[in-house]
Amino acid sequence: MRYTAFTSYDIVLLAQGLGVSLALFLATTIIGLFIGSLWAVIRFYRIPVLAQIVAVVAEVLKNSPVLVQLFLVFFGLPAFAKINVTPVEAAVITLSGNTAAFVYVIAVSAIESIGRDQIEAARVFGLSRWQILRRIIAPQAMAFAIGPLTGLLVNQLQVTSLISVIGVVDLTKIGNILNLRTLKPFIVWAVVGGLYYVMAKLVAFGGARLEKRLRAHTAWKGL
Amino acid sequence: MISVRGVRKAFGSATVLDGIDLDVHSGEVVSILGSSGSGKSTLIRCMNGLEKLDGGRITIDDFDVSRPKELSEARKRSATVFQLFNLYPHMTAVQNIALAPVEVLKIPRKQAEADARTLLDSVGLSARADAFPAQLSGGQRQRVGICRALAMKPRYLLLDEITSALDPEMTSDVLAILAKLAHDGTTMVFVTHEIEFARTISSRIVFLDKGQLVVDLPTAEFFAADGGMAKPRIAQFLSKMRKD
Ligand SMILES: Nc1ncnc2c1ncn2[C@@H]1O[C@H](COP(=O)(O)OP(=O)(O)O)[C@@H](O)[C@H]1O
Ligand SMILES: [Mg+2]
Repeated sequence: MRYTAFTSYDIVLLAQGLGVSLALFLATTIIGLFIGSLWAVIRFYRIPVLAQIVAVVAEVLKNSPVLVQLFLVFFGLPAFAKINVTPVEAAVITLSGNTAAFVYVIAVSAIESIGRDQIEAARVFGLSRWQILRRIIAPQAMAFAIGPLTGLLVNQLQVTSLISVIGVVDLTKIGNILNLRTLKPFIVWAVVGGLYYVMAKLVAFGGARLEKRLRAHTAWKGL
Repeated sequence: MISVRGVRKAFGSATVLDGIDLDVHSGEVVSILGSSGSGKSTLIRCMNGLEKLDGGRITIDDFDVSRPKELSEARKRSATVFQLFNLYPHMTAVQNIALAPVEVLKIPRKQAEADARTLLDSVGLSARADAFPAQLSGGQRQRVGICRALAMKPRYLLLDEITSALDPEMTSDVLAILAKLAHDGTTMVFVTHEIEFARTISSRIVFLDKGQLVVDLPTAEFFAADGGMAKPRIAQFLSKMRKD
């Protein structure tokens, strides 16, 4: 006879899955924010060749399914480049790249939203391109981008659930395991879904607070 | 001194500056008059290095603005006040003024901000020192714009129609500041439509017409010319301006 009742150990399992999902989300968010911003800076400086490469890579990444990218990294790298990757490595590479592509798009449009006239003023007063980026563009672009970035991260959090298909034991994978054992899909998936929901709400809440801080500091309501 | 020699500038097939020669010596106030579209702003933008020259040469105290290595020195010697203020919207008045002194002149922030407050006080804005541009009126913004330029302790002030976005009351506030600067011997290149005011503060008046500098005269002679032997183009321009 199958043992279908829930046990207290299931909570530990769920917590572990939650931890894996969260850790992957945080790691890929940090890497993605860094790489995406770096790409945007490369574009800002119009670095020849690199800027074009970045534009193409971002274009490809944001217009193809994450799952396909994940398979390409997990199965493709070992097959073609003879590089073995663990499921976690494949997940980190894929999700970081995907986040970076969207961060790039948001950062570029945030940078472009800043009026040319103030940048010209800063140039005339002798500020270097780097000083202009740091003191004029970055603070305003950040205030502008924080809303779309929060939306992006809430979405990327859900996207992490895809990595369970290559064997990463994340929250969704734990859900699968519990579901197969207990045969109580409605309860299991409601709990798992609830946990994703709470995490998403926390991300959105953090983003909204940060946005309020950045905007309060700038007081642009009149513009 | 600022020296402009044979400067040409075209946008596409349209020649906007067509062989401009102009000298501005220390202590002079040179007003540039001319109808809209005659190339006044473009000339200022060539002087501060925002536009690339298609011909000729501009030097500020012998630093050539067309040479990247000399441009930064040229920019330290001149400061621009813009028609539409061009303030940094995310910074307070004090921060707007102190930014370039801190970043470019490497003045300690504390001191730069104290200097900024002194400047704001001198234009009657000490109460608005910590306001953001969006919280200021046009006239107040332009006064911040002037302080931002003065904070660089420039040898030359470049002013491009700095009152044309302001209503008459704010205009007179701003002009009063310029009158004081002129009185103190500040060197200025002053693009304006305020003819009567230009008459009171200028040492020389130059007149731009379709990208050419057709007149360059001491102020008294320029306005005397208006009476009789004037070039018809100036007389026509002046009478039109006075009617407006
Ligand atoms: N960036 C630009 N691109 C194309 N044409 C321009 C540009 N800037 C100015 N012009 C043109 O150059 C001429 C002179 O402009 P401007 O210097 O602004 O005149 P003013 O300041 O005397 O009114 C105008 O015909 C204007 O349309
Ligand atoms: Mg103009």
